[in-house]
Amino acid sequence: MTSIDVQDLTKEYGARRAVDHLTFRVLPGRVTGFLGPNGAGKSTTMRLVLGLDHPTSGSATVGGRAYATLTEPLRHVGALLDAQAAHGSRTGRDHVRVLAASHRIPDRRVDEVLEETGLGPVARHRVRTYSLGMRQRLGIAAALLGDPAVVMLDEPSNGLDPEGIVWIRSLLRRLADEGRTVLVSSHLMNETAVFADHLVVLGRGRLLADTPMREFIDARVRPAVRIRTSDATALKNALARHGHDAEEHPDGHWTVPGARVDDIGRLASAAGVPILELTADQGTLEQAYLDLTAAETEFTAQPQEA
Amino acid sequence: MRFAPVLHAEWLKVRTVRSLPGALFALFAVTTAFSAVAGVDGASDPESDPLFTALSGAAVGQIAAVSFGAMAVSAEYHNGALRLSLGAVPRRGRWFAAKITAIAVPTLLVGLPAALAALLAARAGLGDTASGLSTAEQVRGVLGCGVYLTLMALLAAGLATLLRSGVATLSVLIPFILVVSFVIGDAAGTAADFLPDRAGQVVLRQTSEGTLGPWTGLAVTALWAAAALLAGAWSLRRRDA
Repeated sequence: MTSIDVQDLTKEYGARRAVDHLTFRVLPGRVTGFLGPNGAGKSTTMRLVLGLDHPTSGSATVGGRAYATLTEPLRHVGALLDAQAAHGSRTGRDHVRVLAASHRIPDRRVDEVLEETGLGPVARHRVRTYSLGMRQRLGIAAALLGDPAVVMLDEPSNGLDPEGIVWIRSLLRRLADEGRTVLVSSHLMNETAVFADHLVVLGRGRLLADTPMREFIDARVRPAVRIRTSDATALKNALARHGHDAEEHPDGHWTVPGARVDDIGRLASAAGVPILELTADQGTLEQAYLDLTAAETEFTAQPQEA
Repeated sequence: MRFAPVLHAEWLKVRTVRSLPGALFALFAVTTAFSAVAGVDGASDPESDPLFTALSGAAVGQIAAVSFGAMAVSAEYHNGALRLSLGAVPRRGRWFAAKITAIAVPTLLVGLPAALAALLAARAGLGDTASGLSTAEQVRGVLGCGVYLTLMALLAAGLATLLRSGVATLSVLIPFILVVSFVIGDAAGTAADFLPDRAGQVVLRQTSEGTLGPWTGLAVTALWAAAALLAGAWSLRRRDA
């Protein structure tokens, strides 16, 4: 079991506390979305896990060991922190070869990960000719190089084209299905909602939530039923008889808060109300997230994380 | 983690960015060319030290050596490249040792032939003026010149690690080499003899007049380089990447 364990982790930069007594665990076999506004401490936490920054207090371990004590760490943990880290004058292939050389990983594997990330045709071009999306792919190629059990990606969908975004979703899913531990930070709710199974939410360096995504949403956003009919009066009466409060919307559809599709479908059918559309209106991650952060108004307009 | 693969990675880094082999090529070309010109000039001046004239290209070539050392390190302080490097090699001391080796060995391997080529090129111009040079003096001059250029590259590498910037390093070292040392140097106090470049350049002279001999002078430069590297290593270990 290779999990990421963060224990009471605190990091201060001068007077600013970037990470504040953070404790959570990232487990294998699922994609964990790491959410929070810019400056919430996501990148700092990742740097602390990688032993790049020294914690003020607390600890972060991977598979029970501090990252800095791993021999050949790329074979355990693959990370993408900053797509710009590759030197512009080096070719994409040489960039990955440098990392491979330190771990005695053969060039064959380098070409393999470059193919896998779709960089095969441009592998021998200089990185400065790459678009941001291609640099992201290069960073992901480097992260996958050592076939690691833990994959940690900081904003990997940044700058990716639509095709790239679809690709990364399927990649994350595959990595999790292979039993790897996958932690992916993002500030894009809709994107995270598509790929994450589990969420760790930060705000101002503190842990706000650590729950399965479905639970996170359901706990915060009341589900509703969306319904459209050609006979509004009949629908309203039928719903009222069963004690449901329906809301009418300007475009002609109704929502019934706190109801289930099965119940509404049956009662409409029994009352002979013609139904044009009937769907469950599940809350979105965005709604749930905004509900959570609304409580902490201090989040709004935080300066960008360095 | 073994040292050899880490060194291999650092060597690949030097090889795969065009400007770094370029700086080493410049080191060779500039040292040889300036010595050749000095040889032709020096032939008419029998008063000057013929060995120093023959190796005077090193005074210009050292700028290439310093640039090489500074650039090889400063690339790590760009856009979080260091995080990637230390992510792969979290043992910072070992990583830094590999980095230093990947700077020192190529500089020495280019610096020695550069010094030899400079000597030969200058002697072609010096003619009889250089006839008083013994073989031992010439061997000492060439070896010392190669070592001196390497030490200057290491001094720059250490400083670049401490300052975390190539630009800052070069704007300290190059004016220092070109200006300060000349100005203070003419005042020829004993303290000035201990400046890293002046101390090390004693080895390039046929006869040394100051307090330092050829090898003790080089040792003083080595101490400067070692101090810069230690300060760099200390900063690398202590600071967040």
